[in-house]
Amino acid sequence: MTRPLLATAGLSKRYGTVQALVDAKIEVAAGEFVAVLGPSGSGKSTLFRCLTRLTEPDAGEIHLAGRPFHHLRGRKLAAARRDIGVVFQQFNLIRRRSALENVLSGRLGPTPLWRVAAGRFAPRDIARGRDALAAVGLADQFHQRADTLSGGQQQRVAIARAIAQESRILLADEPVASLDPATANSVLELIHGLTRSAGLGVVCTLHQPELAMRYADRVLTMDAGRLGVRPGASRG
Amino acid sequence: MGDLATPEPSTGATARPASGQIPRRAAAGRPLPAIPLRRSFKERLGFWALLVVGAVVYAAALDVADVSLARLWDGLPRLAAWAARAWPPDLSELDTLLYRAAETLAMATVGVSFGAVIAVPLCLLAARNVSPAPWLYYPARFFLNTLRGIDAFVFALIFVAAVGLGPFAGVLGIALHTAGSIAKLWSEAIEAVEPGPSEAALMTGASRLKVVVHALLPDVMPSLTSILLYMWEFNVRASTVLGIVGAGGIGQELKNSVDLLLFDRVFTILLIILAMVTAIDSLSAWLRRRLT
Repeated sequence: MTRPLLATAGLSKRYGTVQALVDAKIEVAAGEFVAVLGPSGSGKSTLFRCLTRLTEPDAGEIHLAGRPFHHLRGRKLAAARRDIGVVFQQFNLIRRRSALENVLSGRLGPTPLWRVAAGRFAPRDIARGRDALAAVGLADQFHQRADTLSGGQQQRVAIARAIAQESRILLADEPVASLDPATANSVLELIHGLTRSAGLGVVCTLHQPELAMRYADRVLTMDAGRLGVRPGASRG
Repeated sequence: MGDLATPEPSTGATARPASGQIPRRAAAGRPLPAIPLRRSFKERLGFWALLVVGAVVYAAALDVADVSLARLWDGLPRLAAWAARAWPPDLSELDTLLYRAAETLAMATVGVSFGAVIAVPLCLLAARNVSPAPWLYYPARFFLNTLRGIDAFVFALIFVAAVGLGPFAGVLGIALHTAGSIAKLWSEAIEAVEPGPSEAALMTGASRLKVVVHALLPDVMPSLTSILLYMWEFNVRASTVLGIVGAGGIGQELKNSVDLLLFDRVFTILLIILAMVTAIDSLSAWLRRRLT
């Protein structure tokens, strides 16, 4: 196996007396869909927040494509984050902005501040945003306000944001927990397709074993903050 | 009180070991200890002691505030006589008075706009979730509380001495006081915003400033605008009295007329103020309802 896109070692986080994440080791290769399966409260979200460094882990290392990510600060942290697309359970779109403006968030990194302030993204970025929305099946909803979209559509916008961002890794925290089963399947289908078409490395937390089994290349389990391997869960 | 009261599940009651009537989970088979129906003597004593202290403080306040029903009674005939002289309202100088009202309105509008400009950097420093310099959080809070704590009236008093009589002193007074109020309310609105959308934008590799501009501001803009409109409406009302310290506007006419006991003129001024304030309040409320 080539060098993993995302690798962690000894990742730990404690909240007060609760050890939320213990010594987590995880490796994800390009084009690989890794599911982290566990009940709510098992530490999946803590893992997600530590991997993104939205929450600082107490200890441990994170490497992106072999380069250390865990100690970066300021501009370097922001630059490294361009490689990480995120999808949240609660979508977390900018509610009062259009689908396209939300997707253009993915281009914030390389866009100069004055363009962001004026709302004038480069034509090339806008084209990329439109393509990304079309790729998730929302070609008719460019200018629809995000809070008027359905849950499934909002999650597609979030995925389109990651596509426009051209991230190499996608971290998804319970991306389908707020969706009905049919929509959940279509959203996971979409994410799974990106691992194949764009070689995205995906870490996706889930709580339904059947979804994990259907879409993941590898299933890890999470229990009381500890990652484990699900026996016989690899579909290769 | 007392007869029906069971010990309240307040933290105070449970934390004190003395009132240990809150039963722990009973061991199997053992009956729970009975919960007494009356508050303990000590608790009732504390309540009455608090009531007595409150009554004494209130009585002292009435005395210090020099409240006297007799003097109000004696003054009533005078008030009635003035009220009688207020009719019909004196409309002879209506154009002057309307101009003065416009001056008040302009003073409030310009003052609030200046205040908003000062409030922009201040509210960013005073909102924990967006502050670019967290060590400035408490200094910023202290500064805006100082501005807020000094009334526009007091600022205007000082500025009249500095820049002379007239509405400009009022503008400066409103600007400084309102900057504190707007910055406080704005920073609270920004702190109350849910972090998710900003976190999502942050993960695209954007700087914090880009996140604020692209993701956070659009979310809070309706609240910020609503606060600004409210402060404008409030200052139109409050600045009607700024003329009393010489800071221009309709308040100046009001003070002159009261000093000269021209009550028909006072009545006209009050009608103008009432009409202006009602119109501005309705306009502001209508605009704020349209924000989504």
